[in-house]
Amino acid sequence: MLLPWGLFGGIRLLMRALILRRLFTALPTLLAVVVLSFVLMKVAPGGPFDGERAIDPATQAALARAYGLDLPLHEQLWRYLARLAHGDFGPSLVYRDFTVTDLVTQGLPVSLTLGGLALVLALVLGIGAGLWAASRAGGIVDEALMMAMTLLTALPSFVVGPLLALMFGLWAGWLPVSGWGGGDPAHLVLPVVALALPMTGAIAKLARAGLATALAQDHIRTARARGLPPARILLRHALRPALVPVASYLGPAAAGLLTGAVVIETVFALPGLGGYFVQGALNRDYPLVLGVVTLYAALILLFNLLADLAYGWLDPRIRG
Amino acid sequence: MPRVPAIVIVLIVAAALLVPPLLPWSHDAIDWNAVRVPPGSPGHPLGTDAVGRDLLARALAGTRITLLVAAAAATVSLVIGVAWGAVAGWRGGKLDEAMMRIVDALYALPFMFVVILLMVLFGRSILLVFIGIGAVEWLTMARVVRGQVLALRERPFVLAAEAVGAPPAAIVLRHLLPNLAGVAIAYLLLTIPQVVMIESFLSFLGLGVQEPLTSLGILVKEGADDMDVAPHALLLPGGILVAILVSLTLIGESLRDRFA
Repeated sequence: MLLPWGLFGGIRLLMRALILRRLFTALPTLLAVVVLSFVLMKVAPGGPFDGERAIDPATQAALARAYGLDLPLHEQLWRYLARLAHGDFGPSLVYRDFTVTDLVTQGLPVSLTLGGLALVLALVLGIGAGLWAASRAGGIVDEALMMAMTLLTALPSFVVGPLLALMFGLWAGWLPVSGWGGGDPAHLVLPVVALALPMTGAIAKLARAGLATALAQDHIRTARARGLPPARILLRHALRPALVPVASYLGPAAAGLLTGAVVIETVFALPGLGGYFVQGALNRDYPLVLGVVTLYAALILLFNLLADLAYGWLDPRIRG
Repeated sequence: MPRVPAIVIVLIVAAALLVPPLLPWSHDAIDWNAVRVPPGSPGHPLGTDAVGRDLLARALAGTRITLLVAAAAATVSLVIGVAWGAVAGWRGGKLDEAMMRIVDALYALPFMFVVILLMVLFGRSILLVFIGIGAVEWLTMARVVRGQVLALRERPFVLAAEAVGAPPAAIVLRHLLPNLAGVAIAYLLLTIPQVVMIESFLSFLGLGVQEPLTSLGILVKEGADDMDVAPHALLLPGGILVAILVSLTLIGESLRDRFA
């Protein structure tokens, strides 16, 4: 949906230049995140091999050597980046016998399914609510809907999640409240809804505001004057430019989805990336945490890129 | 200002500050004779949790910590945001461009994860929670303040002050800041719910406020763990949290619409 020109008209040179330019600014940002997180983890007190029992110094030295932790900081960083460039996130220090790549490839599909479905649901519900409110502009439906949407944005997912689990899982008994169930759709309903609801409110408000601006423009007045049906004006002429603010929200939405997913995965005991991130951070499993942070940062930058491309599609004037 | 949300906030703040000293139980005192009693039990109007701590006392203590963290972190974000935005807007030119580029770049970062890293790595002190959250949430404030300063600096009274040779510091303090106050307060009120949400989020994961202190995030987590037998342990802190978030958002939005 976001890349129709790629499917239909072939990528225009202009767009290609834009994508390249954006990639060139995104890569240094990604690098900065990786370096910052790396340095933070290294300068912090405590290490992955700290335990209840003291390890004897020889073993400790051997462990440090085996994982390259005895090298100077810049050397460790350089080694890490060199491996990262080859797509190798290194070994996990706590989950022995697993590489970070193993763990991430286990968790990523779960997180992507959860986040992707939640984003789609939030877009459909949010834009739908925005359209409905705009079609009743100034009326009671408009006000009630927008009030409800404000309430939604103020509901944190870690409150909505347990509440939904309580109501639909424990009291009504309609849906399972925990676990992945091998990807069984019933297991996904509550987590996806809990993750989508706060975002739905934000999207609906942006869509409503965008529609208000779009509907005030001259070409809409012309369309009205020519007697086009209101629904057609709304969907055909006002909706596309009105979605520009929604597109600009995609970057923050990605960040919100990822952080929300950390909590939702905890609440519903889903084996996604979020659990690995929290566990990794608590265990000081440096490569695991760095791997997950790198991946998160890359996803957020990707969404910002998609948002930029969506602008151009939604409002051709921005393409230049 | 919308009346109902304002009353709700005042009531919650007053209850959190004034009621706990009047209660017979502190938030971490254990009543061995009343473990996990339901609401309405003698001595425990809202019942106790799984280890016999009074839920009303805990909810109020948690509200107090959550509000304290929110106020402190929002102040940090206010100071950084206003200073950053005012300097960028006032100096303009290359400096403005560079400073706003930095803000744009920071917007794109997964900040929550940096805060989580900070919490995990440098011990989970409540001071760090303030600073970490405040350091993350100043970006919007900086943008808004810069926009206001850009508009204000072309206004006749500012030009007049410049023409008579008032030093820049005096112009900023005497002429710009008082005119910024309305917008800054509106965005401050919108920042507080964000901050409350981050604090509760961190505490929910066990990465924010630590026992024996408690916060609404911790209480929601405890309630969620216990909800199959004691749903009110989830509903009470969750309800207070949502009431705070909704009320502040409504007040902040109405102020923003008035000033901006």
